[in-house]
Amino acid sequence: MSKVIGSVLITGGGIGGIQAALDLANSGYYVYMVEKTPSIGGVMSQLDKTFPTNDCSMCIMSPKLVEVGRHINIKLVTLAEIQDVQGEKGNFKVKIFQQARYVDMDKCIACGVCSEKCPIKVDDLYNKSLAKRKAIYVPYPQSVPLKFSIDPRYCLKLTKGKCGLCEKVCPSGAINYDDKDKTFSINVGSIILASGFSAYDPSGKLNYAYDNNPDVVTSIEFERLLSASGPNKGHIIRISDYNEPKKIAWLQCVGSRDTNTCENSHCSSVCCMYAIKQAIIAKEHDPGLECAIFYMDMRTHGKGFENCYNEAKDKYGIKFIRCKVHSVIPNGTAEKGQLINYIHEESGQYQSDIFDIVVLSVGMEISEGEKKFAKKIGIELTLNGFCKTETFNPVATTKKGIFVCGAFQGPKDIPQTVIEAGSAALCAGVSLVEGRNTLNKTVIIPEEKNISGDRPRIGVFVCHCGINIGNVIDVPAVRDFASDLPFVEHVADNIYSCSQDTQDTITNLIKEKNLNRVIVAACTPRTHDPLFQETLLNAGLNKYLFEMVNIRNHGSWVHKNYPEAATQKAKDLVRMAVAKVAQLLPLKEARLNINQSALVIGGGISGMAAAKGLADQGYKVNLIEHESKLGGTANHLYQTAKGESVEKGLLKMIHDTKNHENIHTYFNAEIKQVNGFVGNFETKIVSDRSSETISSGVTIIATGASELKPEEYLYGKSPNIITSLELDRKLKEDKDTLNKINCAVFIQCVGSREPERPYCSRICCTHSIAGALHLKKLNPHMNIFILYRDIRTYGEKEILYQQAREKGVIFIRYNVDNKPKVTKVQNGLKIEVTDHILQTPVTIKADLLTLATSIVPAKNEQLSQFFKIPVNDDGFFAEAHVKLAPSDFATDGVFLCGLAHYPKPIDESIAQAQAAASSATRLLVQKTINTSGTVAIVNPSFCSSCGVCISVCPFNAPAFAEEGQNSGKSEINPVLCKGCGVCVASCRSGALHLKGFEESQIMAMIECA
Amino acid sequence: MECIDPRKFIRMVVLGLDKEIVGHPWVWICSMCTRCTYVCPMEINISAIIYEARNLWPRKERPKGILGSCDMALRNQSGSAMGTSEEDFEWVVNDVLEEVQENQPEWKNLKAPINKKGAHFFLSQNSREPGIEPEEMAPLWKILDIVQADWTYSTVGWGGENYCMFLADDESWKHVTSNTILSAMNLGCKVYLNTECGHSTFSVWMGQKRFGIETDLEIEPIVKYYAKWIRQGKLKVNSDWNKDLKIKFTVQDPCNLIRKSFGDSLADDLRFVIKKCTGEDNFIDTFPNKSNNYCCGGGGGYLQSGYNEARLKFGEIKNRQILETKASYVITPCHNCHDQIHKLSEHYNAGYHNIHLWTLIALSLGILNENERLYLGPDLLEVNLPG
Repeated sequence: MSKVIGSVLITGGGIGGIQAALDLANSGYYVYMVEKTPSIGGVMSQLDKTFPTNDCSMCIMSPKLVEVGRHINIKLVTLAEIQDVQGEKGNFKVKIFQQARYVDMDKCIACGVCSEKCPIKVDDLYNKSLAKRKAIYVPYPQSVPLKFSIDPRYCLKLTKGKCGLCEKVCPSGAINYDDKDKTFSINVGSIILASGFSAYDPSGKLNYAYDNNPDVVTSIEFERLLSASGPNKGHIIRISDYNEPKKIAWLQCVGSRDTNTCENSHCSSVCCMYAIKQAIIAKEHDPGLECAIFYMDMRTHGKGFENCYNEAKDKYGIKFIRCKVHSVIPNGTAEKGQLINYIHEESGQYQSDIFDIVVLSVGMEISEGEKKFAKKIGIELTLNGFCKTETFNPVATTKKGIFVCGAFQGPKDIPQTVIEAGSAALCAGVSLVEGRNTLNKTVIIPEEKNISGDRPRIGVFVCHCGINIGNVIDVPAVRDFASDLPFVEHVADNIYSCSQDTQDTITNLIKEKNLNRVIVAACTPRTHDPLFQETLLNAGLNKYLFEMVNIRNHGSWVHKNYPEAATQKAKDLVRMAVAKVAQLLPLKEARLNINQSALVIGGGISGMAAAKGLADQGYKVNLIEHESKLGGTANHLYQTAKGESVEKGLLKMIHDTKNHENIHTYFNAEIKQVNGFVGNFETKIVSDRSSETISSGVTIIATGASELKPEEYLYGKSPNIITSLELDRKLKEDKDTLNKINCAVFIQCVGSREPERPYCSRICCTHSIAGALHLKKLNPHMNIFILYRDIRTYGEKEILYQQAREKGVIFIRYNVDNKPKVTKVQNGLKIEVTDHILQTPVTIKADLLTLATSIVPAKNEQLSQFFKIPVNDDGFFAEAHVKLAPSDFATDGVFLCGLAHYPKPIDESIAQAQAAASSATRLLVQKTINTSGTVAIVNPSFCSSCGVCISVCPFNAPAFAEEGQNSGKSEINPVLCKGCGVCVASCRSGALHLKGFEESQIMAMIECA
Repeated sequence: MECIDPRKFIRMVVLGLDKEIVGHPWVWICSMCTRCTYVCPMEINISAIIYEARNLWPRKERPKGILGSCDMALRNQSGSAMGTSEEDFEWVVNDVLEEVQENQPEWKNLKAPINKKGAHFFLSQNSREPGIEPEEMAPLWKILDIVQADWTYSTVGWGGENYCMFLADDESWKHVTSNTILSAMNLGCKVYLNTECGHSTFSVWMGQKRFGIETDLEIEPIVKYYAKWIRQGKLKVNSDWNKDLKIKFTVQDPCNLIRKSFGDSLADDLRFVIKKCTGEDNFIDTFPNKSNNYCCGGGGGYLQSGYNEARLKFGEIKNRQILETKASYVITPCHNCHDQIHKLSEHYNAGYHNIHLWTLIALSLGILNENERLYLGPDLLEVNLPG
């Protein structure tokens, strides 16, 4: 085999691609990210909020965008597409076509003057054509790379040879009309497909009245309407007349679960939740608004979703109407609006209502182009055009060395995409272990200058930010003002302080003028602090000797009509910064070694997958299992939803685990005590062999969950009443008995979605339907009934639901207030239920009743205390961030996967295990960690040992010292401290300080303000 | 109204409530318009199930009106549901033709060929015209004359209707359809041209497929040819007559012609023809329209099934929809739609008129004689008269 190349190509710059890129680039690989549009960000960048927590989408995504944009080991290839792939695992040759940008990326400083002057307005696709943009543009303000590009379809210069205004006004000479499209090839070791989805387009469908009707919008259009950065600044309006709506309706399953008006037999998995989210946000905009969601099955199967659904109903008063709406009829006779006729669920009566806006909850699909490309490079697809994968290898495509993540693998939400991104990154990394650290670049930092005892020599740089600041604030006046302040040695103003050449200038000036403190008065530290800190490092200065003053967001933008006052404010802010900076001291970042081994708790599918993921990279893994064998819950399962044998897959995993030279397994093991923190955990365990302490740099929690043994529906009182897992056992071992059954009944949601256990157990609908199909296969004449509340066969699992109906399985929906009644009769069971459509009682005489019972978390309290990791109200572990860190904990060095996180099927468990391993890898690869210099510190002589700091810290950084002269006093572990300052504010004794934000420094600022 | 919705009907089928289904008159109230199937995400063919449910009724107990019309068509070779014989048909056609030739001198060479061997088009004729309002036939003959179509009627199988299909009597449906198709084949025709009748068109188009009747005939709706002839410049319709009058027209999309068979392309042809005749601005489309248009309430044998009150109630939606357009005329290129909408206008005292497309085309060409204006309102009785 040819040489393994230590780089990975990722197609698609959405959240999946971004996460995979960061995981790989931070663990020793070089990454090419190929994105079709001028900017990365994907669909998530267009969203207003994200469910179920309603976090601002851009706010949580933007730091990741910036990190990718600045990463030394990620090369962005925008406006580009892959044309062909040759070669094999470890060494692919990829042919890329890249459109001309017509703007020199190195020269463009994103001042926006070009766009301002450009005379051509075209539809803004980022805003779904609800707004206009110019022919030279950035897709959105936070775009990465933040570089303009010319749309050659519309530019006057490029189409007609006229205009040329942008070239004239560009201050940096970045415009290049002679730029050409190009095709080139690169060699990479692996490829990750993260190309995402296309939203279903309802154009041309007569019954939705979408064409030429501005008040019927798709959900993505509505997302832009809701967004503060959208075409109407987040103010919801009826587009036809700009009036505020009183009533909004959402129609679910538009372009999903439909093989008549389109070819999408799958469920798009996310639409129910995003409709609920949009309705809640709309209600928050205007509490008087009436919101109604028309649906077939409400599919809130994810973590926290059911709770969100209940709140939408009970707290926000959103109406949920179970009816697939036939047609939207605009502009009825008298009232303006959209008429919707529907059948009332309980009464069966025909009803009508008029809505101001109708939102079509459009589904996900894969474009024809993507399908064609996949086939061209030899990737097999599913019935609906998604990338084909196997349950036990959930991110591997049918071509070796090529992996997939996100919606191209199947319809899914952001957390599941992020999980798969981690999984794909791990798999790609494992396939290239020999190439690790061969192509990645490292930054070389000059030795730090000792400034102790030196008099402060401050440099102040004031930025025009193109015209952003300079148009309002008198920048030269601020500069001159600064030159007279104490300790200021040098002042300058720059058109763009952030441009590469200005960075070089500042570096040289620091050296030349022997500056030892630096202030930049410009934009926001949120995005630019790290950039200038790097500049200080390059000049040999400690990076904490720097302060940023935000005279743009806090100055020229908000006070644009008061230039004089804004200039005065800028001067005040600079004076305060100078007062503080003079007192700054260099801060040290502690460095500690990371133990190069991992502890995995739990030997089920997830634990084994995580262990293998790390062991395959050469890390030593200790795997502890509290039972006497590996496999966990999977030992009881029959087949996967895709029809693969669980036993076969499981046996292979157990074999791999037992025979792996880097995995050491402990059985009947119990954790007694845990000490230490990220990089150096010490876990005391007692197992069947011994009692010992395991050292590890990272720990992965994969403790699983179990099946509820119910107390209702006569469970335990008749051999004919069993749980889902018990049915699986019969399918594995006792087909003869099953063969003889005339009538089988399943009852769903046993113990789930009830006050005691309000969450949905996610897998039971699919499991029961698969079970029903197995029974139908055994005996096609068997009568089978599934009594359910909502069928939640998300994604392509929907096809099973369709097959079950085709095979004659009868689905009867019951109401939670009127549950089925089970009684024992001679030779079997009598089950009474009310048919949901005819509203008449149905009595079924059954031989077998299978209860789809809920999945209950293990008793996690002790583990929670040992590792200081929280559990949620339902008893499952709570991850660091529901959307973007689903496999991490807020506690550094501890990771999460499998059923311990939330109920999920095998493929999702394995993906999450690999994602957890990927996160762990990112840490292990560094070998050492640097802590931040901006951390809290305790002055022990003031500490009264009250423990308030310990109780308020979200990161478990403070603890009472156990030995030494400060024993009993609080001390901060700088490794865990994030510098948030909560402890400092809460300390009643004044014992706590935050470095870089000392009281004296803050007071100095206030005094001169 | 014996109310039941398709959802409940399907549920009864799923749960095996065959007895209840057979006892329920709803199967005769459903007009089989398939608007439900059009948007059903699973494309469940409810009207096919209705057909099977009708079939479960003992033949004798099926609605008398439908049964009688089917049996009438089986009586002789004409296929006429009104029992008009081959001889009677021939006599009526020739009688009307002679009258036109005499009274309208510019049409003294007009032809209405019967049993013409080798004609390109075989034209079917709904029994209503020869039976009740024979003068309504002449405008279409004139149109065919202008475009110099090589066409013929046939004494065998001329009857453009098929109530046996509504009766869910497969054998008789097949008989009637085979009879007319064979007749066209025997004459050596190339195109089976269906007159402006939805269910008849559907019965031939679907019957040929359903019963596997082997033929090389192209089975086509006449509306498609109207549009074609206008596009080819053969039919020089214009809307000048309505330039100042600005009389508004709307349209009914017959389910059997559009949703169930020829689709939106035919709906577009239909609109194209109307707009050419009325002027673009004088055509007001309905909403919903085309394949998603409302059923008139007259199809599926509803007109003959005896549930008249239910039928008029059912048509309320259609009536309201037409009123919303504020149009004075509804173009109804289907006999069942024509009859039902005519009754709706009367019943609801709605004031609009409805006409066949041939009437409008002839009107716009200035060839519509005084006695051919049966369905026109007073506002159009004098407009664009010949000569």
